[in-house]
Amino acid sequence: MAARGQGGRSRSAKARREFVSEVEEILERMRDDLARLAEQADAGRGSDPEIVNGLFRSAHSLKGLSGMFGLDGMSELAHHLEDVLDGLRMGRAVLDAPGIALFDESVTLVSSTLSKLDDETGREGLEETLGALVARIDAWTRSGAAEEPEAAELDLDPAMLRTLTEYEEHRLGECTRSGKGIYVVEADFEILSFEEGLAELGAAIKELGELISTLPSPGESEASQIRFSMLVASELAVPDLCEQLGVSPERVHQARAVGAPEAERAPAAPVPEAPAEEAAVETSLKSISETVRVDIRKLDELMNLVGELVTQRGAVKAIAAELAQDARTSRHGLALAKVHKTLERKLQELQAGVLDVRMVPLRQVFDKLVRVTRRLRLDLGKEVALEIRGADTELDKLIVEELVDPLMHVVRNAYDHAIESPEERAAAGKPREGRVRVEAFQRGNDVVIQLADDGRGIDADAVRARAVAQGLLGVDEEISDREALDLIFAPGLSTRAEVTETSGRGVGMDVVRSNIAALGGIVDVESHPGRGTTLSMTLPITLAIIQALIVGVGEQSYAIPLNSVRETLLLDPADVQRSDGREMLNLRGEALLLRRLADEFGLEGAAGSDKGYAVVLGLGDMRLGLVVDDLRGQQDTVIKPIQGPASKVRGIAGATELGELGAVLVLDVSALVEDAVRGREAASERTADGGESTSAAPSDADSEREGDE
Amino acid sequence: MSVDVQPESANRWDVLARAAARREAEEDAAVLVELLAFDLDGDPYAIPVERVREIVRLRPVTAVPRVPAEVMGVISLRGEIVQVVDLRRRLGLAPAEATRRSRIIVLHADDTEVSAIRVDAVTDVLRVPESGVLPPPTTDSEFVDGLCECAGRFVSLMNLERVLSLGRS
Repeated sequence: MAARGQGGRSRSAKARREFVSEVEEILERMRDDLARLAEQADAGRGSDPEIVNGLFRSAHSLKGLSGMFGLDGMSELAHHLEDVLDGLRMGRAVLDAPGIALFDESVTLVSSTLSKLDDETGREGLEETLGALVARIDAWTRSGAAEEPEAAELDLDPAMLRTLTEYEEHRLGECTRSGKGIYVVEADFEILSFEEGLAELGAAIKELGELISTLPSPGESEASQIRFSMLVASELAVPDLCEQLGVSPERVHQARAVGAPEAERAPAAPVPEAPAEEAAVETSLKSISETVRVDIRKLDELMNLVGELVTQRGAVKAIAAELAQDARTSRHGLALAKVHKTLERKLQELQAGVLDVRMVPLRQVFDKLVRVTRRLRLDLGKEVALEIRGADTELDKLIVEELVDPLMHVVRNAYDHAIESPEERAAAGKPREGRVRVEAFQRGNDVVIQLADDGRGIDADAVRARAVAQGLLGVDEEISDREALDLIFAPGLSTRAEVTETSGRGVGMDVVRSNIAALGGIVDVESHPGRGTTLSMTLPITLAIIQALIVGVGEQSYAIPLNSVRETLLLDPADVQRSDGREMLNLRGEALLLRRLADEFGLEGAAGSDKGYAVVLGLGDMRLGLVVDDLRGQQDTVIKPIQGPASKVRGIAGATELGELGAVLVLDVSALVEDAVRGREAASERTADGGESTSAAPSDADSEREGDE
Repeated sequence: MSVDVQPESANRWDVLARAAARREAEEDAAVLVELLAFDLDGDPYAIPVERVREIVRLRPVTAVPRVPAEVMGVISLRGEIVQVVDLRRRLGLAPAEATRRSRIIVLHADDTEVSAIRVDAVTDVLRVPESGVLPPPTTDSEFVDGLCECAGRFVSLMNLERVLSLGRS
């Protein structure tokens, strides 16, 4: 072993991080491939050889990586998977549902091993599980071994047949049995540029059928040329094939015509060509790595740089304007203004480009849902169809990762509780099979994810009863059905089975709501008893840049994330009413609670004046009118955490730099709305001292609801 | 090492003496502490140089609500948002107007976080032998860990941990 230098620890930590991220990427690919194979198996189709090949390559890489890292159990498992997949490729086995389940299990197990890299004892436990899984895989392989398929009689040069690898032999047999035509297409290419020509023809062939093998041909071609024979399987007959490939018929030799009956006799046993096989795997591994993994923090740094450039751009603009006003320099000023325009446009493109790199399709999460529900369906014995729409909708990578748990949670709830048993459904006049639809779409700068089921819906009365039983609601407190529905998000409600059975959903919904709120998103629920429930999550597309409304109170500016702003109203002092010390407004028949930002933050000057604007903030069903002096426009902002000795301030989500305004605080809408609506006096948590103490409304907060955090 | 003895230099012996002093200082380097000295209400204070990330001119500070009064607010340092502690207020000194010499010292609070303090002026970088640090005259000095003599005056060495632990002290 090399001596461990001072940097050894950090280097190995880096190597470990890279190892983990590489393996996670492989696992992700395997999950995708497995999901597609499962779909094909469900539809009764055979496994797509390309996918099986992809899985094989993944298992191969996994084996190598984990071996290198000294994770013998994982390497052993990968090795067995590789063997099984090799069997599938060669047609020695067929992938059935139990087989897919074994693969799913392997992927999960590897994934949990990753998370326990540091935990020596935890890993030992996993090693045992790994061993047991390997044994089960072996058992499955023995039980499912298919008979060696027979290849057809073909009019092929025996010399050519001998050069085929075992896999190519297998594909040849498969294609023959499925009644495809088998042809040998000969083509000449200039030696200097044959790779391009070959790739082009190969691609054209793949459009029309399958390219089983490409072999250099000894044929008498011109000195500067090289000839290849390509073994092709296609459903097209010779004339069509020639026409579409643009080759003359005499260059195509037909080994077997299309649609003829099955073969009677197998050719001589093929000789496996291991070295050639290895080479093929190596090249295809190379082709995968066209993507680069980038630490998301590096993207954050880039984003920072772009932000600084944007600030500098503002300075350039101001200088240009100044120069343009003076007759002596106006020519330069105008020229600079022109350059500035281009700079501005390019900067916007740069910003969009950096943002785009962070974007990933929701498919990653949705595929996980499909996998989980596949198992749920088996476990629960319910008939549920999961429908996924809008999987290509893109979101910031960080948000997508944080979405996995909440989404999993609500989908599981839908399967567990919302969808009735087939018998119950039949009795209610519904189709036996329940439906759960997950749909994502973009709306402005937000992405909306809706989860709709056609289950039993939420019984508002049951929720009400439960809330009363748990002391969340007074016995004679009257609330509307909507308000009752909103109670499922209240912490502590309906964590017991009896309520979830009748209410349909609600387990840990408070966690879901707070998870989504942490991402700057909001959750809404709509339910119709007997007909189903729809949950909508509205999320910002990216955390890196959000659109914000800039408001002013006195000299100060504040930024409010635009996705929680419902509307803004010009405040007419005559409309403001008081009730029990609180101010409110009649907003189209609803009582809108008002809160002055100046009071809230103990700012001087503006308090007491009735002039200004009410910014209507929404958090789920809660509304709050935040009163400010003026509206100062919209801006794209990058929210940054505040660093320093008193960095966590309730009501402040962070800050952002806005050119001439310098650092501007970004309001934490959920905290402000919650505190105001629930009557909590937030300002008392940490009051600014000196003459700035707040004059907030007297607190008569409902103490029963206080301790919910 | 070559000694620069130019005829223009005022005094040849002076140059040689300085070179000798430098050599001596280099031999002593292992026990020297490097300090950034700054001025607060006319008195000199110092903090270890390795805690200093950068020094910037006083710029407009955005006020933050609901924080202790010692926190002036936040500034943006190339997109990073950092709180600024007014050291005069923290030490219970009389407030002062900003001058051309007012500075914000940006500090490494710990491995990951940064903080900043506002001072009246940054004056010097001192190299002081560790053995020259004296205990403060009282034992209940909250923010001062020690003293060191410099040109006949005492420079107070600040305890940054205490200075930066607002509401926790």
